[in-house]
Amino acid sequence: MRNKKHIFLFLFILLIVVFVTDIFTGNAKISFSEGINALFGSSGNEITDEIIFNYRLPKAITALLAGSALSVAGLLMQTLFRNALAGPDVLGVSAGAGLGVALLTLLTGTSLYPVITSLGSMSQVVVAILGATLVLLLILGVSARINDSVTILVLGMIFGYVASAAITILQSFADPDSLKVFITWTFGSLGAVTWDKIPILFTLVVSGVIVVFFLQKALNSLLLGEKYASSIGLNVKKLRVIIIVITAIITGAVTAFTGPIAFIGVVIPHFARSFFGTVNHKTIIPATLLSGAILLIFCDIISQVPISNRTLPINAVTAVFGAPMIVWIVLKRKKL
Amino acid sequence: MNLTRNKNIFFSTSLFLAFLLFLGCKQPNSHQAGGIENDYTDTNIQYAKGFQINHSENHTRVVINNPWGKEDNKPYAVYYLYKNDSANLPDDGFKLKIPIKSVVVNTFSYFEFLQQFGELDKVIGVTDGHRIYNPTILRKIRENQIQDLGDPFNPNVEKTLTLTPDAIIKSAYAQQDNYNERLLSAGIPIIYSLEWMENTPLARAEWIKLIAAFFDKESLADSIFSEIESRYIAQTKLVKDIRSKPTVLSGDNFQDTWYVPGGKSFNAILFSDAGLDYYYKENPESGSIGLDIESVLIQFGSADFWFGCEADSYDELARKDKKYLLLKAAKNHQVFNNRNRVTSSGGNDYFESAIANPDLILSDLIRAVHPELLPKTEFTYIKPLK
Repeated sequence: MRNKKHIFLFLFILLIVVFVTDIFTGNAKISFSEGINALFGSSGNEITDEIIFNYRLPKAITALLAGSALSVAGLLMQTLFRNALAGPDVLGVSAGAGLGVALLTLLTGTSLYPVITSLGSMSQVVVAILGATLVLLLILGVSARINDSVTILVLGMIFGYVASAAITILQSFADPDSLKVFITWTFGSLGAVTWDKIPILFTLVVSGVIVVFFLQKALNSLLLGEKYASSIGLNVKKLRVIIIVITAIITGAVTAFTGPIAFIGVVIPHFARSFFGTVNHKTIIPATLLSGAILLIFCDIISQVPISNRTLPINAVTAVFGAPMIVWIVLKRKKL
Repeated sequence: MNLTRNKNIFFSTSLFLAFLLFLGCKQPNSHQAGGIENDYTDTNIQYAKGFQINHSENHTRVVINNPWGKEDNKPYAVYYLYKNDSANLPDDGFKLKIPIKSVVVNTFSYFEFLQQFGELDKVIGVTDGHRIYNPTILRKIRENQIQDLGDPFNPNVEKTLTLTPDAIIKSAYAQQDNYNERLLSAGIPIIYSLEWMENTPLARAEWIKLIAAFFDKESLADSIFSEIESRYIAQTKLVKDIRSKPTVLSGDNFQDTWYVPGGKSFNAILFSDAGLDYYYKENPESGSIGLDIESVLIQFGSADFWFGCEADSYDELARKDKKYLLLKAAKNHQVFNNRNRVTSSGGNDYFESAIANPDLILSDLIRAVHPELLPKTEFTYIKPLK
């Protein structure tokens, strides 16, 4: 399996397989031919069309975008901080998004209410993006003054803790219904992204990923240490800011639309490095994108299996079902 | 069903469009006033503040008020109910042909309303089936005649759409959720349940009139409500002349916070109607007040009665926390829980049919506090601790 082209081809085919499977998996019984008809025209049944085209298809696209985006954001953080445990949430951006949503539950009784209702469910996305941006600005302010990645990492985590603490305080004031609305958001939801939201998610995520492809060489030199990187003429401080901004935009956008999704961002980069036997970003970036998308779509399929009429929260499925898969791979290969 | 199937967006997802959408993501409000002027006559709503029903020549207009957006005075939802397809309806709001034939019920309190006016058999879907008490609904879930759609805050979208109900009755919250938008995009009207925002027992029960309108049973609902109302008022008269009012504690300790009802809340009004003296009766809150155990001991230590306890027996109370036994109500064995009608899987009729039967809750309290006034009746919802 050392031949990279073959592995990429295998992953790509696997991605298509899980993507198609995802569209044909769900609680409504829809036959393959009905599904195909609904996708490329009409099945003759309005409800089937609605489920396949306006529910499952955007959900699968969201899983693809979110899975690959979070994984590549995790890769950026692991490379920047040279820390195997770093993930997309270490900068506190996800916690910032959560704080935005938590604030929304309290603002609904105020004079801002007409604005909030006019936005509909988009209001959650808007406040989450505002919360994530706030944390990003704090991190950037810090990075401008401090020229040490580890210190920035620690400060990022501190911002995350403060945001989480603020969420806890807001929760203690909230009434049970608002609390349940917020808790449901923290479960994560791929199905919350409707067609009118996909272009926004797509733009933010894809533009971030495109920049990442231009950073391949710089990221490789970071692996050898910041001192080495600057000795070969790299502006480490500028690079650091770019990486932080990209990670924050990707993570903030995904979290805003889907709620928090754990596990994938930390584990997939390790998986990709192990699977391809290299740390070269030229290989690892596309590998991470593909594997992240595959795992999250796979988790979405799993989460459709009804357990006492409930679909499982995607934020939990990623770890509960992703972890055994990864552990199995690690045990087979004896290392990650 | 969404009229324009958004395939064009699927194929033309581009940077430019995305930014346009991002800038212009504000959606128009769907509750604008209608274009056609109609002469409406009002249905008499005496207690509930949350809705109005008006009749015109060929349709009925139902308006659910917005309890959060008081400044702009826009309704939460408007419905036009018609029987004849040729009815000339305004442009805004939901349009439903009545009587509706099938309904998904997302909020427990409506089973009893539907049962009272004989339309319980129209229920085809529910949420949180294991927490339901209504025996008919439970049997139909077992026999697969009613689908359980899961978590009421996050119901199964695909199953709901497959059922294609004429409408869905769903608790409304200050936030619009994604599930609602899915239903609306599939063309399923949502009947928003906001009865829980009403502060008096009779106001909550009056919501039977709202839901009955959708089944074309308004006059039946009117007479059912009038009977409940007269029974309720007759009971309040029983306790009206009592001089020394017993004092009352409510709620229970949860993780060191004891939530007691605010002075303008449903329970506070119920206590006052039952001839009880409540410590926070002058308090302006309509929700609940969180107290620590020390405040409870000081303010309610000498309360004569305690309703809404979570335990089943005095032994259990002592095992949970010895401090409970410092309360006078516990010492004198005057503690009641709301668990007289429960199922083993968590269903409790107190949270279900009690909303529609305020006369029964009130008689429970009067029976507990002044047994000499209502000597024979059995408890419906509350139960003395063993």
